[in-house]
Amino acid sequence: MLVGISLENKLQNTGKPKDCADEMSQLLLEVASQRCKRSYAKIFGYFAPRLRSYALKQMGNEALAMEMVQDTMTNVWQKAHLFNAEKGSPSTWIFTIARNIRFDMLRKLKNRKEDICSDDLWPILCEQTPDQNEVSLDEQVTLEQVGQLFNNLPDKQRAVIEAIYIDGKSQQEVADELAIPLGTVKSRTRLALQRLKDMLEAND
Amino acid sequence: MINYHPTDKQLQQFAEGNISSALALVVSAHCDVCSQCQEKVDDINAKLSSVIENIHAHEDKDPAFEKMLASIMQMPIVDTKPVVAPRIELDGRFFDVPRPLQRFVKHTGNWSHLLGKVWQAPVDLGDAGIANFIYMEKGGRVPEHTHRGTELTLVVDGEFSDGLADYDSGDFIVMDNEHIHSPHSNASEGCLVFSIVDKPLHFTSGIARLLNPFSHLFFK
Ligand SMILES: [Zn+2]
Repeated sequence: MLVGISLENKLQNTGKPKDCADEMSQLLLEVASQRCKRSYAKIFGYFAPRLRSYALKQMGNEALAMEMVQDTMTNVWQKAHLFNAEKGSPSTWIFTIARNIRFDMLRKLKNRKEDICSDDLWPILCEQTPDQNEVSLDEQVTLEQVGQLFNNLPDKQRAVIEAIYIDGKSQQEVADELAIPLGTVKSRTRLALQRLKDMLEAND
Repeated sequence: MINYHPTDKQLQQFAEGNISSALALVVSAHCDVCSQCQEKVDDINAKLSSVIENIHAHEDKDPAFEKMLASIMQMPIVDTKPVVAPRIELDGRFFDVPRPLQRFVKHTGNWSHLLGKVWQAPVDLGDAGIANFIYMEKGGRVPEHTHRGTELTLVVDGEFSDGLADYDSGDFIVMDNEHIHSPHSNASEGCLVFSIVDKPLHFTSGIARLLNPFSHLFFK
């Protein structure tokens, strides 16, 4: 079944990057959803020879270059469902996979015993953690309940609470706007809500 | 707000993968919380990948590739499952940690009380460097020191100052033998940082100098 598939290096649109990207995205989708071997063979036919030239320059050795191509293209086959066209083009995704493979190969060759791998540094092949929508219900407090107490919050906590509960922004939007990490927004929200709760209880 | 970012050169080296593991880890952790730098890295990735597109590849059939293709397509599809992000716990407080550092939370040994109001939890990175999560309570201070090598720091949560500047969550800091500083936190919530050094610190003032012979034990 596999034997008959030849390398299809010529695509209709090889010249234009945008058309090529659209075509490759579509093919990756077919690999992800149906494990379509025809589609994969086209992707392989386009990228494998290019990756080999690139890897040969980077590694300076034919055997290592082919190893890099094989590992990269294996990831493309096995993890096509992790490709997200909204985040970048297929060639960018495949380039970043190749960069990761090369990073780990070079460290292995140098025999460095480092407990850091490319998956830590560039988590492109990891599923994004679903955001467990931030603050749990029992931590939430309505603004009417809070009234004046709101003004007793430290400025930074109040700014975050205002943006989320009054302006209705998401925690990510607040993080981007204030140029602070998302984790900081979360912890400020938690601290602020906790403080408000404590104040409410003290008021009872 | 985040004021201290990696240089454009460091971001370029990070995107290329031509960078030490330790520096890459701290740059990566910064980019995870700094959308501005993440966008820069995405742009660099796109530029770098256009190089691959522009390679003029041979169109001849190659038996080595035919063989490779067939063997790859026999491999099973890999299902990846999202993992719940682990958080750091210290004294009943929980801290969110940038994604690249999350795997190391599990490796974090018990917190030990260092000097005064400073806590340390070592992280084993093997040969990549000597890493710690360090927590300064309000009023906590690391004695004044300089660096025999390079000290990389990411502010995970909170604020601190070191006599050279004031830092906030997400800030990326590189210090070497040209810098003498004494990190301390006056923030009511204290400050949690992640730091990697390649050589022990060198304490420069007062009684802390007595620590030097043992500095490989502290803040290693
Ligand atoms: Zn930045």
